[in-house]
Amino acid sequence: MTTNRLDRYAELIVRVGANVQPGQTLFVTALVEHAPLARALSRAGYAAGARLVDVRYVDNHLRHSFIESAAEEVLTETSSWVMARAEALEGNALIMIAGDPDPELLADLDQERVGKARPVDAMKRQLRAQNELKLNWSIAAFPTEGQAQQVFGSPDIEPLWDAIAHTVRLDEDDPVAAWKQHAARLRERCVQLDMLELDALHFSGPGTDLTVGLLPGARFSGGGLTTVDGITHVPNLPTEEVFACPDWRRTEGTVRSTRPLQLGGTIVRDLEMRFEGGDAVEVTASAGADAVKGQMAIDEFGSRLGEVALVDGTSRVGQIGITFFDTLFDENAACHIAYGAGITFGIDGLEGLGPEDLRDRGINVSAVHTDFMIGGPDVAVDGITRDGTRIPILREDTWQLT
Amino acid sequence: MAADLDPAERLRRYAELAVRVGANVEEGQIVFIAAIVEHAPLVRALTRASYAAGARYVDVTYRDQHVRKAMIELGPDEALEHTPDWLKTRFHHLKGNAYIATTGDPEPELLSDLDGERVGRAQMKELTEIVREQMTARAINWTGIAYPTEGWATKVFGEPDVERLWEAIAVCTRLDEPDPVAAWREHMTRLESRAADLNRRRFDALRYRGPGTDFTVGLLERARWMSALFRTASGREYLPNMPTEEIFTTPDARRADGVITSSRPLALLGDIVEGLKLTVQGGRIVDVEAKHGAELVRGQLASDDGARSFGELALVDGTSRVGRTGITFYDTLFDENATCHVAYGFGIPETFEGEPCEGMNVSNVHTDFMVGGPELEVDGLTAAGDAVPILREDTWQLPE
Repeated sequence: MTTNRLDRYAELIVRVGANVQPGQTLFVTALVEHAPLARALSRAGYAAGARLVDVRYVDNHLRHSFIESAAEEVLTETSSWVMARAEALEGNALIMIAGDPDPELLADLDQERVGKARPVDAMKRQLRAQNELKLNWSIAAFPTEGQAQQVFGSPDIEPLWDAIAHTVRLDEDDPVAAWKQHAARLRERCVQLDMLELDALHFSGPGTDLTVGLLPGARFSGGGLTTVDGITHVPNLPTEEVFACPDWRRTEGTVRSTRPLQLGGTIVRDLEMRFEGGDAVEVTASAGADAVKGQMAIDEFGSRLGEVALVDGTSRVGQIGITFFDTLFDENAACHIAYGAGITFGIDGLEGLGPEDLRDRGINVSAVHTDFMIGGPDVAVDGITRDGTRIPILREDTWQLT
Repeated sequence: MAADLDPAERLRRYAELAVRVGANVEEGQIVFIAAIVEHAPLVRALTRASYAAGARYVDVTYRDQHVRKAMIELGPDEALEHTPDWLKTRFHHLKGNAYIATTGDPEPELLSDLDGERVGRAQMKELTEIVREQMTARAINWTGIAYPTEGWATKVFGEPDVERLWEAIAVCTRLDEPDPVAAWREHMTRLESRAADLNRRRFDALRYRGPGTDFTVGLLERARWMSALFRTASGREYLPNMPTEEIFTTPDARRADGVITSSRPLALLGDIVEGLKLTVQGGRIVDVEAKHGAELVRGQLASDDGARSFGELALVDGTSRVGRTGITFYDTLFDENATCHVAYGFGIPETFEGEPCEGMNVSNVHTDFMVGGPELEVDGLTAAGDAVPILREDTWQLPE
């Protein structure tokens, strides 16, 4: 790992990802193992004019002790200072570093407690600010030995670095310019899709014949978001998708996943589902089906869709052919859908609406959101307009709209 | 012996000592831990030991000297003294809870290439203020404990021999005893009886004489000598420092005169101050000289009005385990226990019964520096002007 690459990466995350503005506080959330990137981000943050870079290190080993030892009622508590930090996010910038150095660390614990242990109120507060576009934020990965082991079967992080660098376009002469171009292309796709005023998307391929109903006036997002203050940012590095929120009541048919899915330490393979009236009434897999069913059972709406996303064969993540075992990357390899919470970025007029109001509008509300890949060269995607006209969107992984 | 302990077991015992004897964590308390990110292995052990002692929750903030360096080097002026609101909220919650701070600078000279004036200013004063209030109210049972790192070992030994540093720390903190908890009890009893003896003698002043030093400092009638065995307002005993070898008091901030010279290097704000020589008149430091790092001290002294006066006198003799290792640790937690020291800045509220204006110094600074050694003579001066030897050639002169 060269310092130069790390600094270039940090600069990309700060300038393009979170797009930190002069005078903003830059909040960074990182694992202790991510310290080299957190440090580079703090330098890049100040260079971009941040008034303060506030790094919060999380240590999964402490989390292990916490889950093992803390009283039941403490597991879901939000302390006043954690809440105060979540409240301070509004109007500022946030960078979250992904990349699990030790994916098996919590495997020996009571998984129900693992699932419960989170500062619920603070997480809701942060999600609300994100959904209401009140902060500019980004998630980017730092390669760790643990992830390298999982992906390549060896703790050598260099190949993982190369893979990440390629997917986030660090291998371009001018990554910032490359991103501007890439993001503009994704935004252009959203415009193309929005102009069609689609009622549904249809996926067909081996094991797949799925219709996903969209919300009336559905808008596609991709290539970044713009805050209420007008700050354009790219929430995920890399990103290759354009996505929309489906109507949780209107998914019909069967779907077969095209790539393995990593789910809390379990690998789910050959996942298949059958939907009726929006509900996944049948879930099978050659491995890990129980993990999916367990997750869907967390609440009444876990088995209904909250996202549909389109990715074509130009995706760098897809081209590289690696399963990263990290949604940040893997969801960008191919078209995907997510069961669970509806993704509401870009939908206007939702401020202050409660769960029931959102569901009335067709937006799913759930504690779960899990993406899985359903696209590939054999899967054709059509748009269906309100009058039933079918418009080809993807054929053999190639974008059909102009 | 500690050397025979496997590293995992040694770390476990060390953390247990800090939690059970140092902070003396009470069942149901929140344990706040403040640590440098390189100290993660110790923090993990402290967290396990705290839950084992019945902590309700262990709340850790890791700080990162490299992030701090970026702030000092590249950040705006306003960043230097800014305290985020959430951090203030957190520190207000220390009240009634336990707090453990780790030391052991992994890169003692990391900040030495920066503008010393900005390094000196980069302090969260509001946080210091909150902690000071709570310590004054004796609302927290807390301790400081060191973690050996490669950078620190290199500073001490000239090579990154972390194991050698571990062994030295194990000696200083009595981890090499078969029963460290019992050894600590015995040790603290001895220091307590020295403090009681000095309190009975009611000296009016102390006089220090040695190479580069001829310094007289007044004692306060309402300040007592004590060991580092502290009690919270609710009566919970704790040891704020491990190791500790000192007995100490708060001097009269208004009565100090002469010249006092440090006998060991002082690690300060990421740099090392060497050959510090302070000239004192009427209780205030009027001149600062040093072979290296004088501007860091000057920056601190300028930070508020009380910084220029003295807040602590501490006596340590040659039986000190820290002193006997013969090692300069470049870490105040250890070095101040090697030998006699004094501190400019904030007095020690635990030693003082009265209003601060009655002689105890008030400041946001508290910096200890070492003045002791075999050549230093310390005398107690009675109100009648008689001199009673307390230390000669590092040996305690009063009967024990």
